[in-house]
Amino acid sequence: MTAREAFWIAIEALRAHKLRSFLTLLGVVIATTTLIVVMSVINGMNLYIATHIANLGANVFILDQFNWATSDEEWLKERRRNKPIKLEDYSFLKENLRGYKNIGATAWFRNSFAVRYEGRAMYDVQIRGETPSMIDMEQEQVGTGRYFSQAEYEHSAPVCFIGRDLVDEFFPNVDPLGKVIEVDGLPFRIVGVAQKIGKTLGQSQDDFAQIPLTTLQKFYSARPRLQVHVQAGNAGQMLELEDQVRALMRARHHISYQQTDDFGINASQTIMGLWERLTGSLFAITIGILAVFMVVGGIVIMNIMLASVTERTHEIGIRKSLGARRRDILMQFVIESGVMAGAGGVIGVALALIIAKLVDMVFTASVPLNAVLAGLMLSTGVGLFFGIYPANRASKLDPIEALRTEA
Amino acid sequence: MGSQVAPALGRDVEGAAPSVIIKTEDLWKTYDMGAIQVNALCGVSFQIERGEYVAIMGPSGSGKSTLMNLIGCLDTPTRGEYWLNGRRVSELTDDELAYIRNKEIGFVFQTFNLLSRATALHNVELPLIYNGTPAAERRARAEEALRTVELGDRMEHKPNELSGGQRQRVAIARALVNRPSIILADEPTGNLDTATGDEIMALFDRLNASGNTIVLVTHEHDIAARARRIIHIRDGKVARDEKTGR
Ligand SMILES: Nc1ncnc2c1ncn2[C@@H]1O[C@H](COP(=O)(O)OP(=O)(O)O)[C@@H](O)[C@H]1O
Ligand SMILES: [Mg+2]
Repeated sequence: MTAREAFWIAIEALRAHKLRSFLTLLGVVIATTTLIVVMSVINGMNLYIATHIANLGANVFILDQFNWATSDEEWLKERRRNKPIKLEDYSFLKENLRGYKNIGATAWFRNSFAVRYEGRAMYDVQIRGETPSMIDMEQEQVGTGRYFSQAEYEHSAPVCFIGRDLVDEFFPNVDPLGKVIEVDGLPFRIVGVAQKIGKTLGQSQDDFAQIPLTTLQKFYSARPRLQVHVQAGNAGQMLELEDQVRALMRARHHISYQQTDDFGINASQTIMGLWERLTGSLFAITIGILAVFMVVGGIVIMNIMLASVTERTHEIGIRKSLGARRRDILMQFVIESGVMAGAGGVIGVALALIIAKLVDMVFTASVPLNAVLAGLMLSTGVGLFFGIYPANRASKLDPIEALRTEA
Repeated sequence: MGSQVAPALGRDVEGAAPSVIIKTEDLWKTYDMGAIQVNALCGVSFQIERGEYVAIMGPSGSGKSTLMNLIGCLDTPTRGEYWLNGRRVSELTDDELAYIRNKEIGFVFQTFNLLSRATALHNVELPLIYNGTPAAERRARAEEALRTVELGDRMEHKPNELSGGQRQRVAIARALVNRPSIILADEPTGNLDTATGDEIMALFDRLNASGNTIVLVTHEHDIAARARRIIHIRDGKVARDEKTGR
């Protein structure tokens, strides 16, 4: 008997017991679905990280009050002792740093803000004060108009550069350039609109208004907390520049030789490192859950296969009386078990594709092909493995005893 | 899993002429029922030659089925020896027994023993599946066997869509499909009405005429009379062994 024949026997047997087969397969279905959904979410977040954080501008690192990728206790320590980065720090670095390609500063003033135009309002708009150089170091690109100029920056001009969401809300049919919007009660003239960025992790990235950092200082916050972005000419110069920044900042903050930094230098690698650790443990947990479901699912399959062997003893007797060898019967039931579990895998994949699609709408998920393959192989493998014991039982039945059993 | 390995053929048995296809010697079968022991067979010895048409007769419970199952290599005797085609069956491995059931013996049961979910064609193909016959040849041979039993127009029917006589003919086609040297039939007409039974018996007559060795079990005289030899069994022993003169 060939595997192909055993396969068709299996399909026939499954068709004869659809509901029972499906219930049997729940464990395998859940395991497969979990595996693929988790891998899809991780994959989706990887893509997000890769496109939005890892590429926060080529060869850019960020001086911030804190290190972003750090342990909880380190972070508590940093919270107590680190000082915010101030405008003076920025000016100092700009003066003293050597060999950089670009330097800029950005400040989130408040996270949610009301922006109004002709009686309409938008809330939750991110208002950022930036130096003109920032346009070259962030993911926003000029769509129409321009970024604010050095002159506007120096004169604290009430101008802004806005994201697509604001255009969609306030200027669906009108050219927004030159229009004046109200940000927290103050008028700002629109000089440019950014290209659409899209959603990441379910959050729109286009709901911002950027104003000159000096303007933010003048109207909203005299001493904003900054992030300083430094761009190197190439990747090879990054470390050297980071060391320069570290040395300059330590000197400015009078940090002695034994003391640790009271600021954080964050490169995309740091973020990637943190992310990898995070996904590593997420993945480990998933594997654990998966193993449990697969084993439970496997045991259920084994029981159903044992019942099936009992139920089909007469059939086994007929087959043996016609010359089926032990290994033929063994193969028939192992393959039946494998096909059944594999069908569970297919259902699991289908469910996972649907769930991943839903998750992608509110968060992020992208189904990797190898997750699908892994899911299918794993489920089939579980079926084959847990089918061995019942199949072996079936193969050992005595032909005449089996034939005597009522059909 | 491809084709099976044939057990070595032609090992000659002491005192048996090469034309002897079945030889039993002092066969016993005892069923252990715990408190009591049932002796279904108590020392059965006989020989059957190639091409013979033998009826085994006896009242119900006399041990006919037990004997047939031993001859068909479906069961093993408690004591005694059995040679099939010159090979001592007790020495054969599981796989060799499977090979014999597949290739050398065509067994027809009283209760047909068809797979209920499979079509007539698929039922007849089963023995061929177990010796690795390629699909196309398998189908052709199964169709041919079904035509031999005049069921060429019922190939895609399932057993429950066939009459009793038709089911038994499917079972006979299945027994024939591997061109076995022996056809064993245990009360093949037992579940059929007389007219249908006669049709089935006519089929056996034809098969014997074309050279098949046939051993069939019955408790009806009319049926047994169609054979050329009748072995009478009573209480697990051979009571009489007669030629019918046909
Ligand atoms: N599996 C079995 N277990 C116990 N006793 C059996 C079994 N099969 C047959 N017998 C007994 O063996 C005797 C012979 O049975 P059997 O060969 O079926 O007779 P027949 O086919 O001639 O009617 C009977 O007494 C029957 O009850
Ligand atoms: Mg009987």
